[in-house]
Amino acid sequence: MLKADVLKELTFAVGEDHVLKDSEDMIIYSNDATMFNHSPDVVVQPGNRDEVVQVVKIAARHKIPLTCRGSATCLSGGTIPLKGGIVLELTRLNHIIKLDAVNKVVVVEPGVITFEIITQAAKVGLLYPPDPSSMKESTIGGNVAECAGGPKGVKYGITRNFVLGLEAVLPDGTVVEVGNEVDGDMCGPDWTMLFTGSEGTMAIITSISLRLVQVPQTKKTLMAIYERLEDAAETVSVTMSSGIIPTTLELMDNLSIVSVENYLKIGLPIKAGGLLLIEVDGVASTVDENAERVSQICKRCGATEVKIAQTPAEAEELWRARRSINPAFGQVAPCKFAEDATVPRTLVPVLVEKVLEIQKKYDVPIFICGHAGDGNMHPTIMFDKRDKNQMERAEKALDEVHVVTLELGGTLSGEHGIGFAKAPYLRAETGAIGYKLGQDIKTVIDPLGIMNPGKMFFYEGKLI
Amino acid sequence: MSMQEMLKELEQEVVKCSRCGNCRSICPVFLAENNENTTPRSKARMIEAVLEGDLEVTPGVQERFDKCLLCKACLTHCGSGVKTDKLIMGARAATAERNGLPAIKRLAFTGLRYRKLFDMFLKTGAVFQGIIFKKLPDGRGRIARIPLPGSGLNLRRMVPELTSNPLRSRLPKVVKAETSSVKGRVVFFTGCTLNYIYPQAGEAVVRILTRNGWEVIIPEEQCCCGTPAFTSGDIETGRTLAEQNIKALNIEKYDHIVTACASCGAALKNEYEHILQESPLAPKWRELASKVLDISQFVIQHCDMSKLGQLPLKVTYHDPCHLVRGMNVAAEPRQILNSIPGLEYVEMKDANRCCGAGGTFSAVYYDLSRRINDKKLDNAEATEMDYLVTGCSSCRMHITDGLNQRNSTMSVLHTAEIIDMAYEAGRKEGKYA
Repeated sequence: MLKADVLKELTFAVGEDHVLKDSEDMIIYSNDATMFNHSPDVVVQPGNRDEVVQVVKIAARHKIPLTCRGSATCLSGGTIPLKGGIVLELTRLNHIIKLDAVNKVVVVEPGVITFEIITQAAKVGLLYPPDPSSMKESTIGGNVAECAGGPKGVKYGITRNFVLGLEAVLPDGTVVEVGNEVDGDMCGPDWTMLFTGSEGTMAIITSISLRLVQVPQTKKTLMAIYERLEDAAETVSVTMSSGIIPTTLELMDNLSIVSVENYLKIGLPIKAGGLLLIEVDGVASTVDENAERVSQICKRCGATEVKIAQTPAEAEELWRARRSINPAFGQVAPCKFAEDATVPRTLVPVLVEKVLEIQKKYDVPIFICGHAGDGNMHPTIMFDKRDKNQMERAEKALDEVHVVTLELGGTLSGEHGIGFAKAPYLRAETGAIGYKLGQDIKTVIDPLGIMNPGKMFFYEGKLI
Repeated sequence: MSMQEMLKELEQEVVKCSRCGNCRSICPVFLAENNENTTPRSKARMIEAVLEGDLEVTPGVQERFDKCLLCKACLTHCGSGVKTDKLIMGARAATAERNGLPAIKRLAFTGLRYRKLFDMFLKTGAVFQGIIFKKLPDGRGRIARIPLPGSGLNLRRMVPELTSNPLRSRLPKVVKAETSSVKGRVVFFTGCTLNYIYPQAGEAVVRILTRNGWEVIIPEEQCCCGTPAFTSGDIETGRTLAEQNIKALNIEKYDHIVTACASCGAALKNEYEHILQESPLAPKWRELASKVLDISQFVIQHCDMSKLGQLPLKVTYHDPCHLVRGMNVAAEPRQILNSIPGLEYVEMKDANRCCGAGGTFSAVYYDLSRRINDKKLDNAEATEMDYLVTGCSSCRMHITDGLNQRNSTMSVLHTAEIIDMAYEAGRKEGKYA
């Protein structure tokens, strides 16, 4: 519990309505989209940058842990207040400050919903490409802090490729601006990238300048059906090495196909071992040619059928299948470890084979799907946490997925972040020196260690 | 059942919630409040914490469960298939068991159980409403003269007039078909709002049916469908009312049951499932439920739409939650509106988003429900149509209130009224000759 005078100071800073301290609310704010919980002592909802500054100064003065939160759709425990203290909910900072169509820049507050940026940019003929599955709920602040990706990552890149500059409140309450709206700013090291993906362990982002791109003239969607999942995976690396860069290249395994079909009933090939959903965009002539070439590659790699959507409605139907995988998970088991193991794209077939082995070895259902085009796979391990034995097997399978990914030269996280859930494996990825450097950098910026404690380089559990 | 047992029953729904936060993009209460403690996922989380012993069933928990419109938007949107309506109603029942219901609701639901007393109360109310409410000059309804704390009335709020001559007093128990050959017998379940507040819409339903060759039976013993009670957690009253209705309807011989109230229809067709689990009348209910049709469904399936006449009106349509998600009725009213010659129809943005009424919700959280409603009104007015058509009297009341407060020129009609007008136009055109 926080002392009464601290609560008084917080109330003075943001107003009584925006300081939540009821026991019910502490439970409600104890989790994100993972299965872990830890209650905060208080939830504070600042309405602007200056209020954030005041709250941070109070936290620093009293050495109170501070954990930022947007929509809490995080899949790595990033917004869980592991050490209690203050949850700083930034969803009231939800204004688009500036949309500059000529310079193709949008400046936003961190609480703006990602999809709102995409919508507003589209109105002036521009595109904000990162499109995480949670884009209709997630805040851009969270996307930047966790460095979210999405299907379009294959061609356009992930969130970090679009962050030009940030304004952030440091743990002592001072405000720093890093980067700027000029694409190509190179004054010193890339500080902006230091904060991008720092998962709230260093600073509180209060304003973000994002790069926008031209909306492609046209696009085409294809679906390739395979008897063997391995052939679908093989297609990914063959396509990428042919020189064509699709906008998206999504892989679905049989479990995904069957579950989605049960849910949507749109006539997906339930006997297929796997399928690929591919989109190419650009100018009309290139798009047609690329679609044809991709179609041939798919067939060469063993696709039994390749469908090209003829109308936007048909394309939308194919995409609905992809977007419905997450909903369909629930049919198999109530709980899941949603991973984002990412390997060099040429190794996608190897990763797929290894995950199939792990599935067999631990006898737990694993959905194998994901943004195969950039190697960012989403092996999703399903279980029922009430079944202790099954949960243990799921945990072992999860460990092994991480180990395999690293062995293949991949990374633990293509987009979900490290947070708490993947922190045990972080040193295995960075190496001991990198890990120590991570700790040192964080300590310089946050000497009191109040920012999102217990996460990333300051995980207190056992390291693997 | 004890409160713990009741909550335990919800565990299988709670465990399905992956906490993904998908519901944040769809919940109208959350979108208006921007506060996590109004999201469906937070409700699953609270039940989980109670079951794990981390949280007491406090009045605070109850309050958070009350702040839900039961619009079912999250239910259809939830990727993991969590039956959120079951969660909320279950938790409301459990918290009511523990903490009781507010006195005003307790009194009202007790009143509902005594059909004759309830009827007398509302009829008397119609006579005395002038003391508390002043009439609006244009006949749109009434607003309160004095603040009435705890009644859910706000000085701004316009409530419709209670009729001094309810629908069921106006009509005989059996209304004969207007045609020479009779197609069959239809039981009309009127519900309370059509009976006491919008009897003209109820009369429209009867005219549509009789004109199309159906004999209409209006059982005297029918009572409130129970929705206000069981959605508030008073399962016992809900069950008593449901059983009374099943008995009242089953005395009659009928081919179909027609409703013109989204909530009554959803209750009779689907929602009784939740409350009749231990009732001996459950099998009877299942039989009955299969015969329930909303008036718009009935018109499409069993009426002659070629006799709809010219109606040069400009119309948009609002989907009541309990029709679109409670009864799966969305295409039918649109199909009818688009079949009326001369009628101009424009779809509004987010037509199927809740209007914010939510039955007793708008009484308890008037300001919040008004903010939710304002979005609906913005979308409706953006169509530049003259009429908003909807199939739920509760939506109608709330939308009319909002339009009144912004001095809008848009009017609200029940789907049945516009169908009736079109048939009347058809008669004048000689289509019945």
